[in-house]
Amino acid sequence: MIEVIGVSQRFDTQRGEIHALDRIDLEVHENEFVTLVGRSGCGKSTLLRIISGLIRPTVGAVRVAGEQVARPRRDVSVMFQRPALLPWRNVRKNVLLPVEMLGLDKRQYTDRAQALIELAGLAGFEEKLPHELSGGMQQRVSLVRSLIQRPKVLLMDEPFSALDALTREEMSVELQRVVAEESTTIVFVTHSIDEAVLLADRVVVLSPRPGRLERIVDVPIPRPRTLGHNAHADQVSAISAELHDLLQPAPQVAT
Amino acid sequence: MVTPVAAESAPTSARRRRTRERIRAFGLPILALAMIVALWWLATVLFNIPTYLVPGPDLVVSKMIDLNSYLAEQTFVTTKETVLGFGLAILLGIPVAMSIARFRLLEQMLYPLLLAVNAVPKVAIAPILVVWMGFGLAPKIVMVVLLCFFPIVLATVAGLRSTPSELVELSQSLDAGEIKEFVKVRFPWALPQIFVGLKTAISLAVIGAVIAEFVGSSEGLGYVIVQSGASADTALAFAAITLLAIISIVLFYAIQLVERSLLPWAEENR
Repeated sequence: MIEVIGVSQRFDTQRGEIHALDRIDLEVHENEFVTLVGRSGCGKSTLLRIISGLIRPTVGAVRVAGEQVARPRRDVSVMFQRPALLPWRNVRKNVLLPVEMLGLDKRQYTDRAQALIELAGLAGFEEKLPHELSGGMQQRVSLVRSLIQRPKVLLMDEPFSALDALTREEMSVELQRVVAEESTTIVFVTHSIDEAVLLADRVVVLSPRPGRLERIVDVPIPRPRTLGHNAHADQVSAISAELHDLLQPAPQVAT
Repeated sequence: MVTPVAAESAPTSARRRRTRERIRAFGLPILALAMIVALWWLATVLFNIPTYLVPGPDLVVSKMIDLNSYLAEQTFVTTKETVLGFGLAILLGIPVAMSIARFRLLEQMLYPLLLAVNAVPKVAIAPILVVWMGFGLAPKIVMVVLLCFFPIVLATVAGLRSTPSELVELSQSLDAGEIKEFVKVRFPWALPQIFVGLKTAISLAVIGAVIAEFVGSSEGLGYVIVQSGASADTALAFAAITLLAIISIVLFYAIQLVERSLLPWAEENR
């Protein structure tokens, strides 16, 4: 579904050139859930923006559904770290924003909007304005909005990182439930190992400065996955440990 | 069977609190005004100030009553000049601000010019406007526009520039195109700041109308003040000043009312 082919990215800044990404090759299959993890500054958000078409790569190319990405595509949807809701629109109207922006027929999406709102646990809040909702609820609205137009690809840029730890866990579990009903390919950027293991079919580890593809770790744990006590605790901790070692190399000890 | 009582009493007490706040918001300034007027009246009586210097509030009020239809006419004239000029300033200012916010080149060309124009004391232009346009409505409207234009442009540009980056990225990711992005995101986002500019401008608009009436006019409250000065009818001048203040206040709150009903989200959001 997504092919990243030899992508490198350089930015010119006032303090000189920044080499953000270095020859990234990556393939994401249809309906796969891939998480990108890495320390801050490894260019994971940049890679996501390149896939979305918001940024053109300095070198290399991205293909989505077999077509080269030159600008944002209608079948690719992005969810950001901040909810990015319009404060003057109520929940329902915020959810329908992409339908208006893409020039689709609104009547065909009102039922879907309602169904998604209910699926995300927002029933009864349709008429509320964003400032009347908690941070977690706002991000739920943002999630529903990013799904409204039935995107083939959903790109998520640390969507839960601004939430408190408990809400964050709850949202990760909810996310699986919501997207289970949709057939969507998802690339999810995070710096949380727990989140990466909980959500992903494969975890892509990036190394910082310049961002290189360090390793791809498979997560063959059956779904639905939960936090806390579960039958696959050993597997989870083994994968988490591997990711820990990759992301935080043990200090060099002289022997 | 305790819950329904609790559920009902909570909103009622909230409503009662809101009513109390509203009474305070209106009542306290009115109380202060009443006290100042009382002090003013007391001072004129106690210190025996001649009425051609400071007339008591009773004289001002009786002047208003005696000349009510004349003063109402003059109030209408000044209000008309103010509102027309203000409306024109909006019609001119917002498109200019939109182009400045959109095109970097225009900003570099126009912004210093606008700042320079704004730095010119407008009172100095008033007599020239009379030379150019005579004593009619036109120079008054131009004067009002001159005073209102800049705060409206400044606030609108600032508002249009304040769109948060995540909203810009969102509409870009939806490949919305510039017009839809402007209509659905940038402009509504700018509205609260545009209203700040409008509220600044409306007070200036009244000043502009009065200045223009001072220099060349045969009607309006500014003209009334000039005439009353010539005949030492200070009570009439005070009556005109009071009416000007009322125009200013009423127009200001009218804009605030429009703002509140148009942007109920803005107060909570900022």
